Amino acid sequence: MSPEIFFQIIVNGLFTGGIYSLVAVGLTLIYGVMVIVNFAHGEFLMLGIYVAFWAFTLMDMDPYIVVPIAFVLIFGLGALVQRGLVQRVLDAHPLNQIILLVGVSTLLIGLVQFFFSAEPKAIHVPYETAVISISGLRLAIARLVAFFASMIISLLLYLFLHYTRTGKAIRAVSQSRDASRLMGINVNFIYYLTFGIGAGITAVAGVLLAPNHRMIPTMGQGYSVIAFVVVVLGTMGNFIGAFVGGLIIGVVEAFAGFYLGGDVKIIASMMIFILILLFRPAGLFGRRRT
Amino acid sequence: MTVDKSTNTSTVKSHTWLRDVFLDWDRTQMVICFVLVVLLALTPLFINSTYYLGIIILATIYAFIGISWNIVAGFTGQLLIAQIIFLAIGAYTTIVLFNNFLISPWVGILIAGIVSGLCGVVVAFITLRYGLKMDYFALFTIALMVALRTLFLKWDYVGGAVGMWFGLTNPSFDKMIFANKAPYLYIALGLVVIGLIIQYRIYRSKIGKYFLAIREDDDAASALGVNTSRYKMVAVVIGASMAGVGGGFYMMYVTFIEPPQGFNLGLNVEIVMAGPIIGGLGSLAGPIVGALLNKPFAEIMRGALAEGRSGNSLIVYGSFLILTIMFMPRGVTGVLHTIYRRIINRFYPQGTGES
Repeated sequence: MSPEIFFQIIVNGLFTGGIYSLVAVGLTLIYGVMVIVNFAHGEFLMLGIYVAFWAFTLMDMDPYIVVPIAFVLIFGLGALVQRGLVQRVLDAHPLNQIILLVGVSTLLIGLVQFFFSAEPKAIHVPYETAVISISGLRLAIARLVAFFASMIISLLLYLFLHYTRTGKAIRAVSQSRDASRLMGINVNFIYYLTFGIGAGITAVAGVLLAPNHRMIPTMGQGYSVIAFVVVVLGTMGNFIGAFVGGLIIGVVEAFAGFYLGGDVKIIASMMIFILILLFRPAGLFGRRRT
Repeated sequence: MTVDKSTNTSTVKSHTWLRDVFLDWDRTQMVICFVLVVLLALTPLFINSTYYLGIIILATIYAFIGISWNIVAGFTGQLLIAQIIFLAIGAYTTIVLFNNFLISPWVGILIAGIVSGLCGVVVAFITLRYGLKMDYFALFTIALMVALRTLFLKWDYVGGAVGMWFGLTNPSFDKMIFANKAPYLYIALGLVVIGLIIQYRIYRSKIGKYFLAIREDDDAASALGVNTSRYKMVAVVIGASMAGVGGGFYMMYVTFIEPPQGFNLGLNVEIVMAGPIIGGLGSLAGPIVGALLNKPFAEIMRGALAEGRSGNSLIVYGSFLILTIMFMPRGVTGVLHTIYRRIINRFYPQGTGES
């Protein structure tokens, strides 16, 4: 393998991985605070990409302008899902929580299929196939932008969680619900906020994919599975772990795609997932879950 | 939990056979199930439309597959989210045996059950060996499903991405191909009856009590000397073999399978999960009651809202799951149980032995 191809694969992997990181960060945030696995997570990404499609075809809006709109919309939806549904099963049997979220996922896929049909859709922006070359590396503009946007959003979220009062409150709740409540934190509000943010940034990941990605209503399930892989790899509930894990899985998939062919590359991540689940369920960054 | 029945029934003086049955909720549920089975068996006399009969047959198959999932998820509380894996393996086994080895589906379906059961042994062994529970177990099964889908897509022997089907030849009993739909219904009902009996026998046996103990508290059950690993595996293997048989028959009925369909979470919700959950997960009548409510309702919605749009059935199943968990977590059977208890308490205030 020549060095050019090697670096090209790494760059492609990182570009994909950036999106995975963003999705996984949302999932890990929700898990960290509420200790539920959001089985409907990928559906928020799917909704994001359909918001971009809808804005583009209806109002001719560029996907990058849609980013904040999608964030606000899906943030609201996420907060509503938390407030109306998940909140009420937080203390229920985990079976009920998972069934509920599988129901939410099924409902969202059904609704999108109903309104947009199950046919694959795509939007065509002028820079769709634009590529820049830097010393032999070919970088698709849309994916470059998506990568840096994911990095920036993850960084902003990290700063938010560490340097604002609300962010600190979120982290406090993730450490102990009861102690936070005693310290005067409105725990329920933090829950709505967390689910909203988790869903919102996942939708942003979807919007960032929109310029060069075909969309179907069931696409979210693939991303859910990838996000599960990443989050388990990087320790459930660990922000940095999810971020790094996303990039790792992206690069691994890129190499697997090169050696095995595009449609079999998912096998590589599934193998990693199964091995991590079996041999190190606490993930790369974690102590063992109690 | 039910308490020892014998002491309680003896307190009811001059008991009759009928009273014995109806004072026992488990047996009452079985009566409900068998009434439903008889009603289903009579439908071909009244319904001529192959479309409606088709829906009833699918609902019956879903009821059988629902029972298989109920034993795993309902009795032992293991989140085998992607049960459809075993269904697909059963379906593929049956069609491969039928197409490539000319083995009659009657035998093929049984072999499918064995093959799926063996896969269940493997899955249970791996997950138990490494102590995967609840959400981790659920994630494992989903990962396995995605991996298998990709493998089957690339596996030419089972048709790869094209899938497998059998040509509709002349109807013949040997090949389980019939000219009209009624025979399929009766085979499906036969499976449901067998499934109901297996389910009841397990539920009332000592193993059933172990299963429920594992569901309520895994660690406590283990501390009380229940070999939790063994019984979890038993449940998965029973569920997987039944799903394999169900998948094999489903294959013979729909005549076609392809990897994106066979390993599909949406279809998994429709075929496997929706029935038991809405009917009442962990109850005896749940899977059949749920399946008979779901499938026809989803079809009505499909008809009412169709106009070339898809996704209706997903909306129905999704909302049903959400509404059930929010408003009646014990499902329709749970509601029936409440009503039943009121009636019984009214006529037999001394109690029925139910806590």
